[in-house]
Amino acid sequence: MNQTAKKLVALMLCSGLLLTACGGGNNSGNTSNNANSGKNANSGKNAEAYDENAKATISWLNILHTASPPTDTVLDQIEEKTNSEIKFSWIPDASKEERLNTALASNSLSDIVTLTILDNSAVRNALKSGMFWEVESYLDDYPNLAAISQDTRTSASIGGKLYGVPFQKDLARNGVVIRKDWLDKLGLAIPKTTDELMAAAKAFTEQDPDGNGKNDTTGFMDRSDLIYGAFKTLGSYFGTPTNWSVNDEGIMTPEFDTEEYISTMNFMKELYDNGYINKDFPVTAKTDQQQNFAQGKAGIYVGALFDSKNLKNLAKGIQDNMELVMVNNITATGNESDRAIWSATNGVGGLLAFPKSEVKDEAELKRILKFVNDLMSDEIHGLMTYGIEGVHYTVGEDNAVTIKDQPLWQQEVQPFASSRPKETGYKLHDSDPLKVEAEKLIAENAKYALLNPAHSLESETNTTQGSELQKIITDATYKYILGEYQLDEFKSAVESWKKQGGSNIIKEYESAYKEINQ
Amino acid sequence: MKVSIMTPRNNVDLKIEKKKRRKENLASVKRNKMLYFMILPGFLFFILFKYLPMAGLMISFQDYQPFLGIAGSEWVGFKHFIRLFTEPTFFMLLRNTLILFAMNIILFFPLPIILALMLNEVRHRYFKNVIQTIIYIPHFMSWVIIVSITYMFLNIDGGVLNEMIASLGGEKISFLTSTEWLRTVYIGQIIWKELGWSTIIFLAAITVVDTQLYEAVEMDGAGRLRKMWHVTLPAIRPVIITLLILKIGSTLDLGFEHMYLLLNSLNREVAEIFDTYIYTAGLKNGQLSFSTTVGLFKGVVGLILVMGSNKLAKKLGEDGVY
Repeated sequence: MNQTAKKLVALMLCSGLLLTACGGGNNSGNTSNNANSGKNANSGKNAEAYDENAKATISWLNILHTASPPTDTVLDQIEEKTNSEIKFSWIPDASKEERLNTALASNSLSDIVTLTILDNSAVRNALKSGMFWEVESYLDDYPNLAAISQDTRTSASIGGKLYGVPFQKDLARNGVVIRKDWLDKLGLAIPKTTDELMAAAKAFTEQDPDGNGKNDTTGFMDRSDLIYGAFKTLGSYFGTPTNWSVNDEGIMTPEFDTEEYISTMNFMKELYDNGYINKDFPVTAKTDQQQNFAQGKAGIYVGALFDSKNLKNLAKGIQDNMELVMVNNITATGNESDRAIWSATNGVGGLLAFPKSEVKDEAELKRILKFVNDLMSDEIHGLMTYGIEGVHYTVGEDNAVTIKDQPLWQQEVQPFASSRPKETGYKLHDSDPLKVEAEKLIAENAKYALLNPAHSLESETNTTQGSELQKIITDATYKYILGEYQLDEFKSAVESWKKQGGSNIIKEYESAYKEINQ
Repeated sequence: MKVSIMTPRNNVDLKIEKKKRRKENLASVKRNKMLYFMILPGFLFFILFKYLPMAGLMISFQDYQPFLGIAGSEWVGFKHFIRLFTEPTFFMLLRNTLILFAMNIILFFPLPIILALMLNEVRHRYFKNVIQTIIYIPHFMSWVIIVSITYMFLNIDGGVLNEMIASLGGEKISFLTSTEWLRTVYIGQIIWKELGWSTIIFLAAITVVDTQLYEAVEMDGAGRLRKMWHVTLPAIRPVIITLLILKIGSTLDLGFEHMYLLLNSLNREVAEIFDTYIYTAGLKNGQLSFSTTVGLFKGVVGLILVMGSNKLAKKLGEDGVY
């Protein structure tokens, strides 16, 4: 009796295990099936008449630039105004490559997919393979989408085809942010040339600008990023092209094969050798960089101009006398005619793409395009930027907005900000003087912005091997700046870039360029 | 002569015997059907999660496009293998992986044995338990924590160790951003994290050593070190060999997470290993086929290492793992 009872228990345990094992195995499959069939039923029902004014359920695979997703307060308003129900799947910005690639590989997408990494080979291949709707022919039916300029459309195209609604960003938003109070204390003028910038960095390092009697400040505070950190912006001041340059004969040169790039490296090297920059910049994260700057460890910050507002906010209570000045007109020569600033992805922040697996038919696509069009209205832009009037912000004179409650805004509104398909040209604007100034300077930057001529060109080698090859250059650049490489070693790194596939990239870009510019 | 041995048995006898044996086997299965039933979940687990996914390896012979699936993607033969073996990165990856692997085996592997022997000599029971608890703790921390702690210690601006060196008048050392220190830091972190935990199995092995043996050598006048050398070590030798082979099998997985956190532009030359490369090429840059190829190659190397060391162990008169 006892024996049988034991056996029975064992049997039950085993079958329990077995069931859970099977359940575990099938779970993911089941849910995706359910999702699919649900979707099918939905689109089947609405296939004939997808009423543009009917309430739509829209899922959106989106990228989150803040620490946590937003709460529902603002979302409810957006849903009401766009007559829709939005289901977000948020992907943290730091892991967007992995998550987007897995989503693409497993075909678990949403109605709208935010693709900010168009140079990623998986994303590019997915777009080229016809996974997403082509939208160019539909854009002109919607007032806000029709307003997207031809330049932007061309820049956002791949192989001449537009696979989504482009994010319209500023052409160039980088510049230098300097501690004005430190400059004043040391009797320095606002730098206009790279030499003056170097002099300021030297003075900030050596002349104790915070007056605490300790040798604890540096000029620059940089991070481990050769693109959005200091390097590329300084590069523009020396006249480095944005990624590629092309001459009249259609010969293309990568930026790191130019004299100007080497001048930039020399500038950084001088900063590093003399200790005018934080020595650990190759391993510093952006948050640490901003924290350190806010704590008064350094006086020069290079990055997006509107970061000045964040720096000032971060410094509250730590460096209350911090005064910041933004500079966007530095050149190596001092001539206004040499002014230039690099442009990140030619003003296209990516695409809002609509996968065919989710958006089944034209009617559904049209409804979603209408939704995107609505997102670009003044009203919803205001919601996604500042929140709800009276709750998150107040409007003063001349449509100037003051945020009432910074933490509440950060929690409920800020996460939406990076989802705005268009960022400029709205009637509401920030009343914060630094923000106003930053926006003015960024608008001014557009006049001097250097575009990347290879941005919308196709190169098979670049798609497959480009990012691996770029490591060679990135590594060599760091090593040169840190003094581990001599110039000839850097140059041989460039040669090995060419040998390992770089020359193919050059060739492919050149022929693609010729095809378009004939 | 040999034939004569066989003659008493004719074919019919053999057949009957086979039948008999089969019957016995069947009976034994029937008798122990509960036990066999209990194998089932594990069996299914391996089929579902270990063997079926292996079919996915075929995408390393394709230009795999998720949208088209395995059926629709283009077959490209050995294209990705050719690319892997002709890229200069390949030798860097192989060298780094093998060097770190060797360091793991040579520098790390003996340490837990030594520590276990030392702990075994601690006679005070309470004291021994306290030590064990303390040295097990690091094992439960994630690599993120351990790398951050290392960062706080070794960072060039404000790292504790570098500040100490500087205050003693020395030159600051770029532990984290140079090729010379990467391997030391890497193996140091492994030792710090895993040393205590790895002693467990050796301590267990030591406890079953026959105490009569100790008494016998004591009679012969052996001291503590002699006892260790002539009794304890030989007694736990099979455990050591088995663990060594298992370790060789798993060590090629050098720990993606660990290395990924340490990797930067300035130490890539010695820090990039197959695991990190597969991650960046496959998941970050989306070259699924190519990174599968790299993974497949790594798997083959690992298999060769395990089989080779197993064979070697058997040649040396040990049992081996299988």
